[in-house]
Order: sequence, then structure tokens, then C-alpha cells
Amino acid sequence: MKRDLAETHIYRKMSFFGFGQSAEVDIILDGQDSRKTAEIKTEDGKKERYYLYFDGETVSGKVNVSLKKAGSKLEHQGIKIEFIGQIELYYDRGNHHEFTSLVKELARPGELSQNTSYNFEFQQVEKPYESYTGANVRLRYFLRVTIVKRLSDVVKEQDIVVHTLSHYPEMNNSIKMEVGIEDCLHIEFEYNKSKYHLKDVIVGKIYFLLVRIKIKHMEIQIIKRETTGSGPNTFNENETIAKYEIMDGAPVRGESIPIRLFLSGYELTPTMRDINKKFSVRYYLNLVLVDEEERRYFKQQEITIFRRSDKNRKTYQATAHHNATRDRKPEENSVEEEK
Amino acid sequence: MPATPQLSPQEEQEKLLEEAIGVVKNQAFQMKRCLDKGKLMDGLKHASTMLGELRTSLLSPKSYYELYMAISDELRHLEMYLVEEFQKGRKVADLYELVQYAGNIVPRLYLLITVGVVYIKSNELSRRDILKDLVEMCRGVQHPLRGLFLRNYLLQCTKNVLPDNNDDATGGENESGNVQDSVDFIQLNFAEMNKLWVRMQHQGHSRDRERREQERRELRILVGTNLVRLSQLECIDMERFKKNVLPGVLEQVVNCKDPISQEYLMECVIQVFPDDNHLQCLSAFLRACADLHPNVNVKNIIIALIDRLASFAQSEEGNGIPSDIQLFDIFSQQIAQVIQNRPDMPPEDIVALQVALMNLALKCYPDKVEYVDKVLETTEDIFNRLNLDHLEHGAAVSKELMKLMKIPIDTYNSILTVLELQHFGAMFEYFDYKGRKLMSCFIINNILENETCIPTQEQVDLILNIVNCLVQDQNDQPEEIDDPEDFAEEQGLMGRFIHLLYSEDPNQQFLILNMARKHFGSGGDQRIKFTLPPIVFAACRLANRYVDLKEEDENWEKKCQKIFQFVHQTIGALIKAELAEIPLRLFLQGAVTAGGIEFENHETVAYEFMSQAFSIYEEEISDSKAQLAAITLIIATLEQMSCFGEENHEPLRTQCALAASKLLKKPDQCRGVSICSHLFWSGKNSKGEEMRDGKRVSDCLKKGLKIANQCMDSSVQVQLFVELLNHYIYFFEKGCDQISIQVLNQIITKIQEHLPNLEANEETDQINKHFKNTVEHLQMKKEIGDTEVSFAGLTI
Repeated sequence: MKRDLAETHIYRKMSFFGFGQSAEVDIILDGQDSRKTAEIKTEDGKKERYYLYFDGETVSGKVNVSLKKAGSKLEHQGIKIEFIGQIELYYDRGNHHEFTSLVKELARPGELSQNTSYNFEFQQVEKPYESYTGANVRLRYFLRVTIVKRLSDVVKEQDIVVHTLSHYPEMNNSIKMEVGIEDCLHIEFEYNKSKYHLKDVIVGKIYFLLVRIKIKHMEIQIIKRETTGSGPNTFNENETIAKYEIMDGAPVRGESIPIRLFLSGYELTPTMRDINKKFSVRYYLNLVLVDEEERRYFKQQEITIFRRSDKNRKTYQATAHHNATRDRKPEENSVEEEK
Repeated sequence: MPATPQLSPQEEQEKLLEEAIGVVKNQAFQMKRCLDKGKLMDGLKHASTMLGELRTSLLSPKSYYELYMAISDELRHLEMYLVEEFQKGRKVADLYELVQYAGNIVPRLYLLITVGVVYIKSNELSRRDILKDLVEMCRGVQHPLRGLFLRNYLLQCTKNVLPDNNDDATGGENESGNVQDSVDFIQLNFAEMNKLWVRMQHQGHSRDRERREQERRELRILVGTNLVRLSQLECIDMERFKKNVLPGVLEQVVNCKDPISQEYLMECVIQVFPDDNHLQCLSAFLRACADLHPNVNVKNIIIALIDRLASFAQSEEGNGIPSDIQLFDIFSQQIAQVIQNRPDMPPEDIVALQVALMNLALKCYPDKVEYVDKVLETTEDIFNRLNLDHLEHGAAVSKELMKLMKIPIDTYNSILTVLELQHFGAMFEYFDYKGRKLMSCFIINNILENETCIPTQEQVDLILNIVNCLVQDQNDQPEEIDDPEDFAEEQGLMGRFIHLLYSEDPNQQFLILNMARKHFGSGGDQRIKFTLPPIVFAACRLANRYVDLKEEDENWEKKCQKIFQFVHQTIGALIKAELAEIPLRLFLQGAVTAGGIEFENHETVAYEFMSQAFSIYEEEISDSKAQLAAITLIIATLEQMSCFGEENHEPLRTQCALAASKLLKKPDQCRGVSICSHLFWSGKNSKGEEMRDGKRVSDCLKKGLKIANQCMDSSVQVQLFVELLNHYIYFFEKGCDQISIQVLNQIITKIQEHLPNLEANEETDQINKHFKNTVEHLQMKKEIGDTEVSFAGLTI
């Protein structure tokens, strides 16, 4: 099922004075019919869909320039198309950090007297980062066509979305840890991996080694931490992406509680570390215990989230399901009640 | 303004429940609407909201149950919808994953179970994994009440989808699973539910303990359902049950160390699994019993099992207890172990266990008396070990012991079989006086009801030793004497019992009587008057039996003589007890019996007995009424007898006449003398010939008339005349030539003169009536006139 593309953004720098010829610019990407699209949030939280590209893919297509007034010529100082990857920090609106900027000239300065099409091609473009819209930062890729004019240029931008794909990591140890408050609570928890892909499932277990508090319930949270800036100007923005109750009531010593959390239902991005020295997005699993007096006990563990290519998804899901069900053998069947 | 009334806890509950049910109805309605429109996701959302109501902590178990029932009804709609959709071929991809996004665990797991079962129903291949996953995921709910209901829902939903086949599952190839997977599934669920249930006990304030235990009892069926489900799996063969089912259950029960749980679950195990299984796994079950918490009433559990097996052994479809299972031995050993493990077990419970064991022995092995005896022996050992003695009547342990002892009596309904029990009698020693007496009466009554004859002297000895407290005084007897009526009733029982001491062999019978005599002889004055007379009668009967054996037993005469010596001695014991009338009568009875048997010396024996009767009459009987009665009896006895030659008969009858005339009161004299007249008429010699001495008859009656004339009381006088008239008429009719019509006329005239002068009262009426009847008799005789004697000349 495909959805219509969101309306293309058109930035038009209109001349206040000139009533001269004007033109409309369309960017038609090659292979649009077969290319996948992906959603991304805009700054104001709306979701939009753009064509999806991966690192190293060629971005090519056609630029159509159609004149608005028939019979009138359009004089220009040249027509160019740029491929730009940039990071926008919201607190520093004026400064966009372009980490990629490629330019192709489509036409030398001259006159246009009729609608014209130009082919363009950026071969095997490096797209090192994933498109991202966060609380304080945005990373976007777009194509920009500029018809340079004397007074006001005609500019047209076309966003694309870039996903970075990772291979399944060779090292993916489980996270296992014993934590506690002395003579009060000792638990051991285990998450089956430290690195999860976006459609992955977190499988784990919590063992209660000592319970002297009256636990009411326990939940797992996924916390996304977006860090921008550096040094004294570092901003951290925490967002709780998921809140997932995994236990109701108070366990006793010896109990083990299963964890299974499907990630695909949440809005996650791959973990991003120190992107172009501008920002990071990290994810943490936060285990929270709440006792009957509403005191909270928690432990955060960072996990890495990455994106896998779709090809493997089918086989992967089968594996995940098996992991979820087969790996957990019934525990030793002992009932020990605290007296 | 009136203050808002405070809601009672119950009203509070009702209000909370009502609100929750309201939400459930509303959400369920919307869920169904969405489903009808095919909006599955929205439907699931409403289902989840509805299920959110089950997250409450405010409801009591009872209210929570009602809420749960309402919700599980609604969830059935969802399940049916999903099953239909799946059957139509509509794949709702990843639904199993989808429902797991629900943030709250309780609604999430209810949905997961619902969807999981739908998956299983539509594709059996997933069954094994899904079942494992569901039961495992339910661990997330650790709250006892919510967890119990959640797992109960799991159990309900999976009821019809549990794999029940024996396909080999080694290597995990069999995706749909086999019965072992079901066993594992239920066992795990059972263990978890039991843990939750036990945990309820330890939550909250200790002052609420009673209420909490009550609530726990209300919930027990939820836990027990697991065992029911296990028992419903058809592919569990004995081997599997023995190895994989029962041990797990028992381990769980024992390890939970919770009395309420243990008591209920052991009972459940007994009830839900078939008898055959119990038989095959007895030891394991009983070993578990021995390991239960000290507060568990293990007695009830074992008794329940025994009762069940005992009725199984007796039922029609049961083929009895397989011979390779030593049911009794196993129980016997394990019960001993249980008792040993529980030093604080009250003795009544120990005995109750023995009661159960005995019931088992009697029902399953009715022929094995030694088993019953073994139980008694064990009981005795225990009593010795516990230093129990003189169990107070009415105490629980005494009651139980009584129950124990009554079982063989009631079951065998033959004291002879009971006597085969070596340890039966000894157990009597542990009762107090009252207990012994009750038990003794119970035994005797049983003998009487069943008319059990006791055929040897040894058995007589045994029984009389057992019921000793009815035979003689006891050391521990209370000082105040028993209620005379009760006493008489008890001793009456003994009297009846003596008649059942009977052997076909007369020689043995004699030994029996001697044995009885020995025991009863020491019973004291109060008892022997009840117990020795029956012995005398029994001896008399025995003597008569020898008459029939004349031909076979050449010593019969000597034996008879011995018997009468025995009778004589026995009566002598009664005389020593300062009893008069009874020995007198017994002597007369002895005389009649001896007189009737023609053994050597029988005349002498009979004479001796008569003379003994006389001497009692003379020495012991002083009351005039009693004297008259006694002499009448003696006269009547003598009149009957036909063993005396003249030289013996003469002194006896003379003695009778003398005694009669020496009675103190005139009316007594008159009556005595007139009765005596019969001796001279129908008294018999040793050839059986009647005396027919009319002269002496007439003398006696004349003497009677003379004495009657001397009476002052005219009413008595007339009465005596009427009586004398009757004697005269008797002899006249018999043809006594010394009696003439004139004499009759004279007496009649005399009576007719006096009668009208009597005061009108009841006594006079009686005399009148007597006279009238007499006269009517005479008139009749006169009119018929066909008698040997002529009534001509009689004036009436």
C-alpha cells in the first residue's frame, strides 16, 4: 500500500518589484515508481513521506522548468542543482552545518524561451548519516535547484530520506547485571543482547534474589537521549519512548519475571553517536521498580539500536519468535515463602 | 443537613463492583460494535480498556471473581470472532505480537492468552510453543489475586486445546506437542498458582488472618482446577503418572509448607485421580503425607484415601485390590512413619488413623484376621509408648478407641472371630471403668443380637475376662453405686448371655458351665442373683440332654449326678448371699428335673433338693405372704413329682400339711391346708400311681372349713368358703367318695346366708362373682347330668 507523497516544499523568493517572467521548477527523481518511501517527522511534529535513499546510491533525475507566462523569456545567470546534507541546530537557526554539498550545473547563463528539462546525476553519493528530526536538531538531505536571477532566484528544494543500514553486529553480548540496595532488594537482570535493530524484540529476565520491600509493580522504559552541542553548551533532551509494565504485584525471593518487548511499535531511530561532532542520539533501557509507597528504584542501561536492511527481515522474525519462546525453560520449581 | 452515611465495607464492595461492571458492559458493547464492523484494532483497544478493570486492588476475592466472570464472558465473543476470521482465511498477521504492545501487563496477558488460543485453534502446529510461552509469560503477574485469576483464565481457555497424545516428541520435532507437554504446562501453572495462593497467607496484617484464610479457602478451587485438568488428560498412562505427574504435584504440595494448601491439595489428589493410580502410587503419596506441615490434619487425608480405596475394593467394577499391592502393609508402614514424624499428634488422631487402617483391613481383606490384630497390636504399642492408661470416658481418645474396638465386633458379628484377635482383650485395659462397661455391654448385646453360641470353655473364659467389669467388682469402680435399673439391665443381659454358652458336646457344655460358674460365682451378692439362676437352669437342661444319650454314654448317670451336685453347690452360693426365694425355687426346679431323670440315686437327689427347699422355707422365709407362696410352691412341686417311694413321699407330704397348718394367719392356714388336700389325691408314688386317699382329702378340707369358721373378718370368711366350695366341687367331680352333696349344700347355704350381710364394696363384688360363677358351673353340671357323679339333690 502506497501513500501519496506529501506536497513538495517550494520556496519561492518572489520579487517585490519585478513583474517579469517566472518559472516553476519540478524535480523528478529517477525510478520514482519503484523507489521506496519513508516517513520522517517535520519540525512541528507532522509526518511526511519522502523517497528513501541509502548510502552510496546514485541520486539522479530530471529537472523540469516550466515558464509561467507563455511567450515571455526568462533571463537567468545560470541554473544549478545541489545535493546537500545538513545539520540544523534549532538554537542556532542561522548556521546550518552542511556536511555534504555537491553541485551540478544544469545551464549556463542565458535565456529560456520555453519549458525545458535537464537531466542530472550525482553518482554514488556518500550519505554517511541517517535523516533525523529531533527535539533540538534536524539532519536532512535535499536537492536544491536554483535559477540564478538578477533580483530574485527561483529556488526549489526536494527532500529525500536517508536510512543508514548496519550489518548484524559480530559482537552482541547480553546485558547482565546484579543490582540492589543492601539488605533491601537484590535483583539480577538480563537482556538478551546489547544491540537491537529497529524491529527487534528485547527478551530478558529479572531474577529476584532478595526482596524486602513491598513492590507494587515494575516497568521497562525506553529512554531516548538527544545530546546537542559540546562543552558547556551541551544540551540533553530525554524522552521516554516506551513505558511497558512487566510485573504486577510483589514477587518473593526466587521469582523470575520474563521480559519481552517488541520494538517495532515504537518510534525509534538508530543510535547516533557524535554525528559530525554536532549531536548524538542514544537509547537506554530503564528498569523501574515502584513500591507501595510510590518510591521508585531504577537502573538504566544503554542499548544500541541499528537499522537492518529489509531483505533479512523475514528470516529474522522467525528467529526472534523462537528466541522468545524456546530459550526460556521453566525454572526450578521451588516454592519458598518468606516467613 | 444530615451527614452522608458511611458505607459499610459490603456496600463499598457492591458499589465498586457495580462501577467496574458498568465499565465492562460499556467497553464490551463498543468492542462488539467494532468487531461487527470489522475494525479489529479498535475492538482490541476496547477489550484492553475493559480488561483494565481487572487491575484493581480494591475488590474482595468474591467481587473480583464476579468481575472476572463478567469479563471472561465478554472475551469469549472476541475469541469466537477471531476464530471465525481465521477460519474464513483472513490472516491477521502478527496479532500475537500486536497484543503485546499493551502497556499494562494484566490486560496484555489476558489478550495474549485469548489470541494465543485462537492461534492454536487455527493452526495446531504452533500449539506447543504457544502453550509454553503463555504459561511462562504469566509469571509477570505476581499479585496473588490477579495472578490466580489470570492463570485460571489460561487454564479455562486452554481446556480443549491441550495436546493429549503419545506421539514421540524427542528432538522437538513434534510441533503440536504431546501429552507430556500438557503435563509440563499444567504442572508449571499449578506450581505458580499454588505459590500465589500460599503467598496470600503472608500478606497484610496479622489481625486479619482469619478473614484472609477464609478468602483463601474461597479461592482454592482455582488452584485445584489444575489437578482436575491433569486428571482429564487421557493419555497419561500409569507409567507416566508414576514418573512424571504425581511426583511433581506432591513435591509442590510438600515444599509449599502451607497447611491450608497442603490439606486441600492432598484431598484434591485423592479425589481427582482414579483409584488404580492411587493403588500404584500409594507409597509415594503416603510418604508425602508424612512430610506435611505439623498443622495439617494428616489424619483426615489418610482416612479419605483409605475410605476411597476401601470402597473401591468393595465396588462392583473394581476387581478388588491387585494381589501384588500389599495395601495393608504399605498403609501400616506409612502411617507408622506419619505418627513418628509428628510427636505432637494428639492420641485421638493416632487412634483415628488406626480406625481407618482397620476399616481398610476389614474391607479389603475380610479374611485376614491377622491384619486387624496387627492394628490392635500397633495401637497397644503406641499406647504403651505414650504411657496412656485409664482413658477417661468421653475424652476424644477414648471415643476413638471405642470406635476402633467396635469395628471388628460390628463387622464380624461373631464374638468367636473377635476372640481370634490376640490383642483385642488387652486393649480393654486402657479404658476407664465406664468405658469398659460400655464396651462390655456392646459386646454382649452383639452376641445376643446374633445369637452367637459360645462353644468352648476357653472361649467362655476369654469373653468373661474381657467383659470382666460386668462379671465382678472392679478396682477402679466409682464409690457411688450404679443406678439400680441400669444395673439390673446389665445383669439381665448377662443372664441372657449365659443361655448362649452352648456346646453340642454335653461334656464340653459341663466344662463351660463350670467355667461360667467360676467367673460369675465371684460376682458378689448383687450380681449372682441374676447370673447363677440361668446357670442352674442351663445345668438342668444339660442333665436332660444326657437322658437322650443313655445308649451312647454309659457314664451318663454319674454325669447326671455330678451335674446335680453342681446345681446344688450353685444354689448353695445363692443361699450364702442371704437370698431365700430364689434358691428355694431353684431347689424345687432341681428336684423336678432330677425326679424326671431316671438315673441312679435320682430319688435321693430329688429328696435332698426337696428337703433343702423345706429347710430354706423354715429358716429363711419369715414373711407370712412369702411363706404361703413358698409352701404353695412346694406342695405344687411335690404333687407333680413321681419319683418318690412311700418312705420318702410320706414325710414330705406330712411336712407340707404340717407346715400349711402352722402358718400364722388363719386365712393362710385355711388356704394352705386346703391346697394340701390335693397331695393326698393326685400325689404320686414312684410308679406314677395317684394316692386317691379320700379320707385324708376330706380331713384337710374339713380342717379348712373349721379354720374358716374361726375367721373374724366376715368378708375373708365368705371368700374362704367360696374357695373351699371350689375344692369340694373339684374332689366331688373327681369321684371322691368322702365328699357328699350334703356337704356342698351346707357350704352353699352358709355362703348364701353370709353374702348379703357383706358391705358393698369391690371385694364383695369379686366374691359374689366368684360364687355366682361357681353356682353356674354346678347348675350346668346338674342340667347336663351325664357325668360320672350325680348332682342329684344339690340345692341351689
